[in-house]
Amino acid sequence: MGENFWQFRPLGQGESRQRIDWRRSARDDRLTVREREWESAHTVMLWADRSPSMAYRSSLAQEAKIDRALTLALAAADLLVRGGERVGFCGLARAVAARDVADRLTQALMMQERTAPAFAHAETPPLEPLAPRAQAMIFSDGLRPLPEWSLAVETLAARGAGGHLVVIADPVEETFPFAGHVEFLDVDSDWRLRAGEAAALRETYLQRLAAHRDGLSDICRRHGWSFATHRTDAAPATALLALRARLEADAFRETHR
Amino acid sequence: MSGLSFLAPMALAGLLALPLLWRLLRVTPPRPKEIDFPPLILMRDLEPKEEQPARTPPWLLALRLLAATLLILAVAGPIWNPNPTAPGGGKGPLLILMDDGWAAAQDWERRLSYTQARLAAAGRDGRQAALAPLSEGGKAIQLSDASAATERLRALKPHPRKLDRAAALPAISAFLAQRGDAELVWISDGVAQGAGDSDPKSFAAALAALPHGAAEVATGERAPLALAGAENAPTQLSVRVLRAQKTGAERGTVRALDLRGAEIGTAPFDFAQTNEAKALFDIPLELRNDVARLDILAEKSAGAVALLDDRWKRRRVLIVAETTAETAQPLLSAGYYLTRALAPFADAREIKAPASAAILTALEQRPAVLVLADVGALTGEPHDRLTRFVEEGGVLLRFAGPRLAAASDDLIPVRLRRGGRSFGGALSWDKPKTLAPFERESPFHGLPVSKEIVFGRQVLAEPEPGLAQKTWAALEDGTPLVTAQKRGAGVVALVHVAADTTWSNLPISGLFVDMLRRVVAQGKQAAEAGTTQGAGQEKPDAPLAAPARLLDGFGAFGPPPPTAKPIPADYAGEATADHPPGFYGPPDALVAVNVLSPGETLVPLDLSPLPATRAALTQPEPVDLRAPLLLLAFLLLALDALASAYASGLLRLPRRAAPVALLIAAAVLALAPDARAQSRFDYGRPLRSLLRDDGRPRSEDPALSTRLAYVVTGDAQADEASKLGLAGLTRVLRERTALDAGDPKAVDPARDDLTFYPLLYWPIVASRPQPPQAARDALALFMKNGGTVVFDTRDALTKREGAQSAEAAWLKRLLQGVDVPELEPVPADHVVTKTFYLIQGFPGRTTNGETWIEALPPAPADGSRRPARAGDSVSPLLITSNDLAAAWAETPDGEPAYPLTPGGRRQRELALRGGVNLVMYTLTGNYKADQVHVRDLLNRLER
Repeated sequence: MGENFWQFRPLGQGESRQRIDWRRSARDDRLTVREREWESAHTVMLWADRSPSMAYRSSLAQEAKIDRALTLALAAADLLVRGGERVGFCGLARAVAARDVADRLTQALMMQERTAPAFAHAETPPLEPLAPRAQAMIFSDGLRPLPEWSLAVETLAARGAGGHLVVIADPVEETFPFAGHVEFLDVDSDWRLRAGEAAALRETYLQRLAAHRDGLSDICRRHGWSFATHRTDAAPATALLALRARLEADAFRETHR
Repeated sequence: MSGLSFLAPMALAGLLALPLLWRLLRVTPPRPKEIDFPPLILMRDLEPKEEQPARTPPWLLALRLLAATLLILAVAGPIWNPNPTAPGGGKGPLLILMDDGWAAAQDWERRLSYTQARLAAAGRDGRQAALAPLSEGGKAIQLSDASAATERLRALKPHPRKLDRAAALPAISAFLAQRGDAELVWISDGVAQGAGDSDPKSFAAALAALPHGAAEVATGERAPLALAGAENAPTQLSVRVLRAQKTGAERGTVRALDLRGAEIGTAPFDFAQTNEAKALFDIPLELRNDVARLDILAEKSAGAVALLDDRWKRRRVLIVAETTAETAQPLLSAGYYLTRALAPFADAREIKAPASAAILTALEQRPAVLVLADVGALTGEPHDRLTRFVEEGGVLLRFAGPRLAAASDDLIPVRLRRGGRSFGGALSWDKPKTLAPFERESPFHGLPVSKEIVFGRQVLAEPEPGLAQKTWAALEDGTPLVTAQKRGAGVVALVHVAADTTWSNLPISGLFVDMLRRVVAQGKQAAEAGTTQGAGQEKPDAPLAAPARLLDGFGAFGPPPPTAKPIPADYAGEATADHPPGFYGPPDALVAVNVLSPGETLVPLDLSPLPATRAALTQPEPVDLRAPLLLLAFLLLALDALASAYASGLLRLPRRAAPVALLIAAAVLALAPDARAQSRFDYGRPLRSLLRDDGRPRSEDPALSTRLAYVVTGDAQADEASKLGLAGLTRVLRERTALDAGDPKAVDPARDDLTFYPLLYWPIVASRPQPPQAARDALALFMKNGGTVVFDTRDALTKREGAQSAEAAWLKRLLQGVDVPELEPVPADHVVTKTFYLIQGFPGRTTNGETWIEALPPAPADGSRRPARAGDSVSPLLITSNDLAAAWAETPDGEPAYPLTPGGRRQRELALRGGVNLVMYTLTGNYKADQVHVRDLLNRLER
């Protein structure tokens, strides 16, 4: 953020009160914000995983993972545009700063579903580098093998773009509450795993899950991205708040770079 | 004799196959649960550690084995309590002693079937049998084959009386003397009856002493119940419920029936672990006197029936006391003493009136006994009516007193000396006298005589022949205290002292109550037997009462059997073989004979002297267990299917939901009928709170808001105009004034309550008939109570000068009989023209009509000009001919509904202003008449 005064403008709805210029506001009845130079808009590119595995929903969850991912993505888009940023959707929509960005993205997503019903949704973001000062915001269950994710993040961040990876998980996926004679079915393929005693698998599974998450986190850190997990039995607002905190941290870092 | 048997025992061999089934089930595991799991990709390389098939869970295995076992058992046809087999195998002939008194009637069928089973068993064993009903004491016992004994058994019926078992002993001992090897079977009712059962030489002991083979006593499970000692107490009818043993139900119900068998009332009883209970009927006296039969519900025996005849009826006793001086202290009056003393056994009531009138009133109520306390000489109609009353069987009981001592008539049993005598007083040498013991001939004989009862004054009888025979009670010096004489069918009795405590303390003694009871009892004897003992005549033999309706052993009424013999009319004993229980005598004087005497108690039969095996009469019914077993097996298999589906994941239930769902299903099944009833109940009372008692919605309650009303004439056009007109006026009132009137209401003065309406608009339609008188009355009341009626003849256009129009004539007829004040055309200074608007007249659809209103008092003579005048109240009626409602009427879009004459918006506006003024006038009265003085008042204040 710059030092030089640029303009006064009225306080917008939903804007942080910290931005109010109280000295100027005290002169009349309106709350006024003092804007400074170089306050340029960010470009944030969203991406939500829509692969079959995202459609999973256990009895413990409030909604399916894909629903949560899209909710978060659209809500983030709306909030970001209100905050003056430009938002797009990787491989689907260019970054715009329109007020109705959430509607636009929804329409674009629905159009894609309708025109290509058998569209095999990718499980990782499209491999296109983002603009240097852009930010990526990826919502996925992150279940692809680590090399794939490594490639995806590397490509996106090739030109120096920052990013945030939010891994969305069903509570069952994190706790593995199974016991007894169980046959597990994979959702992306027809592979199945029969377990005479499912509880015996629990330790192994949890270890592997933790290792996978560590790998993802590692990839993100390497490219200066943030990494977070979100469970579908938690409120969506928690994920959004965390994202916002991280965005602001980024902005701060950027300013003081 | 109870137990389990199988119709097809071979099928039980199937049970041997169960271990095989067990092995089979063990190796067939259920299908695994299938679970979608996206992160499975993380375990792609994982080799399953243990792939061995899980075993069938033990609980599922047990469930299936149990179902299979049940199926096999069901196929084998199990029966609980198979055919009852009577014990057989005894030696020698079978002698069956059968209790067939009233106590055996309750479970007679069981007794018969048990006996029949014994006889059948004896027949199978080829034994001879003899049947000895204990009621037929003297008959010799015939030995025959079992089938002949069965024939005899079928003809047996319980007898409606107590058994005298001892009477049967000689025949039994004669039989046993010949066949000492006979097996004794005593089908006993368990109730000791008669002297023969209680003393050491009881029937059981005597039986034990006789030579016999094996002995068996069979008794019923439930002690028979009996009724005894019905009593018609002052406040309620009570009866004792008895039983011999503390078995059977503790509670029950006694019902009271009248002679025709209609139920009058019921009363519960509760033994509370004793052998005697009381059932109390709390029913009015008149109904209680109709009770002819009490019986225990669901108890079929003559002992459980108590019959009531006239002796149980509470007699009506009326008291006439000379009231002139006694009203000052009613609790010391003769009438009060008598009422209290008679109340325990009679329906006593005092007639408070001057004596001669009271006597006539009392005789109209047909009392059994009429008590006259110190009523002087009777003459005229009371005397003649009293004489007839006594001749027809009434009892006239008179008490002496100052008036009787002064003057008497012939309605007393003895001639009296004038004045009477007193002893123990200040002017007398004598001490107060006491009573002599009652003579044997006296109806009071047997009552204890207390020396504490003293007499200070009495009226004296003239000595005459036969005085001793007329005397029921005398003082110690021999002077008569109570004398009586038979007159026709009735009795005249005189107590020679007063019924209050001024002459003696007899009225406050217990003896007084007993004596009155005996006298009242005389009423019945006098009426029915036509004789009195007090008159000294020889008591003839009581007439015989022929059997009318008798009870059989089961307590049901029936025609008398040929063996029943008539009873004396005063028979008071219990039923015997010759006199079965029931009603005897002519229909208007029935005599009841009961099985049990009033003081009876039931004692259990002591069977200890007789060494015998005990048997129960009741044979358990065979129960086929196939159906429940099959049902259970089916349910288990259904459960197994559900469990298998659940275990293999086909049936997905949330972890916690499964038990909850089962519980809910069970609850729904268990409560289904209740739930239905509940829902019926709920649907049955919809929105009740929103309805008034007459079912009208609350919003239409006329009391809740002020509203205008119009009278429905029956003429559709006029009613429509009234409705629209008042609606229009109401709208204008709401807009312009503070009155927020409700929607106008159509009323019919004959039917609706007019109380709620301040103003009633009544258009006159001459072609309609006059309303009924009720409407006219309601109208008059409405006007009288401050309502205002606006009559609208609507004839301003049609009427001719000087002639009366049809509408005016109709109105005149309507107002006939209604209080109409003097009327005048509305004066210009009348307050009705000033209440809201200042107006000149009341135009309506027409403008030339005159409006009449109650004439005001004349203007003050001082000539001071006042702007408005008003009477003290609102005019009860206005009569106009301008058809106001038609001018007020408007269409829903606010346009005038009818064309006006001559027409124009101004006319309609003036009509509405007139309407507003009218309503304001009815609501505010002469308030405006004072209001117009405000300026003057203010001026005065400023000065």
